[in-house]
Amino acid sequence: MNAANILFYIMSFIVLASALYVAASKHLVRSVFMFFVTLFALAGLYVLSLADFVAVTQIVVYVGGILVLILFAFMLSGRETLDVLQTENRSIWKINNLPAMLIVGLFFIILINVILQTNADHLGWITDSIKLKNNITNSGEMTANIGVNLMTRYLLPFEIVSILLMMALVGAAHLSRKEQQA
Amino acid sequence: MVSYLIYIGVAIGLFAFAATFALFAVYYERKLSAFIQDRIGPSETGKYGSLQTIADILKLIQKEIINPTATDKWLYALAPAIIFIAVYMGFAALPWAPGLVPSKINIGLYYIFAIISIETLGILMAGWGSNNKYSILGAMRSAAQIISYEIPAGFALISVVLICGSLDLQEISMQQGILFKEQTKFLGIWDVSGMGGIMSWNIFRAPHLIIAFVIYFIASLAESNRAPFDIPEAESELVAGFHTEYTGMRFGLIFLAEYSMMFLVSMVGVVLFLGAWNTPLPNIGSIHLAEWTTNVPWGIFWIFVKTLLLVTVQIWIRWTLPRLRVDQLMDLCWKVLTPLAFICMIISAVWRVWVMN
Repeated sequence: MNAANILFYIMSFIVLASALYVAASKHLVRSVFMFFVTLFALAGLYVLSLADFVAVTQIVVYVGGILVLILFAFMLSGRETLDVLQTENRSIWKINNLPAMLIVGLFFIILINVILQTNADHLGWITDSIKLKNNITNSGEMTANIGVNLMTRYLLPFEIVSILLMMALVGAAHLSRKEQQA
Repeated sequence: MVSYLIYIGVAIGLFAFAATFALFAVYYERKLSAFIQDRIGPSETGKYGSLQTIADILKLIQKEIINPTATDKWLYALAPAIIFIAVYMGFAALPWAPGLVPSKINIGLYYIFAIISIETLGILMAGWGSNNKYSILGAMRSAAQIISYEIPAGFALISVVLICGSLDLQEISMQQGILFKEQTKFLGIWDVSGMGGIMSWNIFRAPHLIIAFVIYFIASLAESNRAPFDIPEAESELVAGFHTEYTGMRFGLIFLAEYSMMFLVSMVGVVLFLGAWNTPLPNIGSIHLAEWTTNVPWGIFWIFVKTLLLVTVQIWIRWTLPRLRVDQLMDLCWKVLTPLAFICMIISAVWRVWVMN
C-alpha cells in the first residue's frame, strides 16, 4: 500500500459518494455543487494515471464551462420553478420506471461481465505494443505528444470537431438574435 | 518521508506569503489611494498607520460568524474557502527564480488558467447560498464578467505560448534571458543572444506582444473584479455584491482571495511578458551586468519588484478611472479586446514561422 494507492482509494471514494449524492439529493442546486466535487476528484484520478493534460482540460471544460452554464440556467429560472421540480413524487418503484430499470439492470450485468472477463493487468494490445516499442513512457513529453498527434495523424477528426463546434456557435447566435422588424 | 514534509512546508510558506502580502497590500492600497485623492490615509495605528491592517485582521478574527436564517448553510459556509483555495492553488505553479519553482509541471500555464476558473464557481456558490437579491445579482454579474474576459485573456496567453513553444512557466521564463541557449532577437532584427537584459523580454522579442500584454492586463483587472470592472460589487447599487452577507473571518477569506488574485495575475503577466525573473540589465561589452544579476536571490528580487509594479498600476487604475456600465463592459470585451487578441494570435503564428527562423 503506497501513497498512490491510498490516494486512489480516497479519491475513488469521494467520486462515488459525491456522485451518489448528486443522483439522490432532493436539493437541485446543492447537487450541482456536489457535481463539482465529483468532477474535481475525477480530475485527481486522471493525474494519478499520468494524464495531467486530460485532468486540467476536465477542469477547464466541465468546471469552468458546463457547470457554470448549468448554474446560470438555475439562477435565471427562479425559486418557484425549482420548488415544483423538487416536490415531485420521487418513488423509484413505479410502473413507468420499468423500461429504465430494465435497461439499467441489463447494462449493469454487462458491465460486471466485462470487468470479470478482462484481465486488466495483462491486456493483449498493451503487451503487444510494448513488444513493438510502440508506447511512450512517463517522460514529461506526454502533452507535446498529444499536440503532435492532433496536428498530424488525427488532423481530420480534429478539424471535423471544430466545424461541428462552429456550427453550434452560429446556431446559438442565430437563435438568440432579435427578429428583424419588417 | 522528508519529501512530503518539504511539500507541506512549501504549501504553508505560500499561504503565509499570500496572507502577509494581502495584509500589506491593503495598507499600501489605502496609502496610495489617499495620496491620489490628496488625503493622509491611515495614520493613527503604529508609525504612519503601518499597523492598521494588522489591527483590522485581529478585529476580523475576533468577530462572531453570523449565519443569517435564510441561507443555505453548507453553500454559504464553504463558498469563501473555495474562492480562496482556487486562487491559492494557482500559486503552486509560479516560478520565482532560476530553478526555484514550487511545482515544475509541463502544463503550468494551462493549470493556472484552469484553477482560477474555479473561483467563478465559488462566487456563484456565495451568491446563491446567501439567499439575498443583492448577492445573487452580484454573483451573476461577476460570473458573466469573468467568463467573458477569460476569452481575450486566453488568446493573449496563447500568443505568448506560440512564441515560446511551451506551456511550462519555467521554460518560458528561461527563454527571456541569458540562460537561453538558442538565438534571441530584439524586435526580430537585432541578435541579442548572450546579451540578455530588457531586450530579450517577450514583449521586445516580438513587439506585437505589447498589445497582447495590454489586453491581458485589462482582462486580468476584470477577472479579479477590480475597478473599473467592479460592477459585481458596485456599492451604490448592490451594497457589496456577492459578499454582502459575510462577516468575520469568512469575509476575511474573500478579501484575502481578492488581494492574492491581484498578485497572482500580475505575476503571471510578469512571467509571460516582462521577462519573469530575468534582470533588465544587459551585458554590455566586458561588463557582464546580466550575468551578475541572474541567480536565485536576484531572481526573487526582480520578479517581486516587477510584480509589485504591476500591482501598483492596478491600484492606480482603480483610484483613477470611473466604473464601466455593464453594456460598455461587454462591448469592450467582445468588440475590442477579443478581435485584437485574435489578431495578436495570428501575428504570433506568422512571427514564429517566418521571423524567428
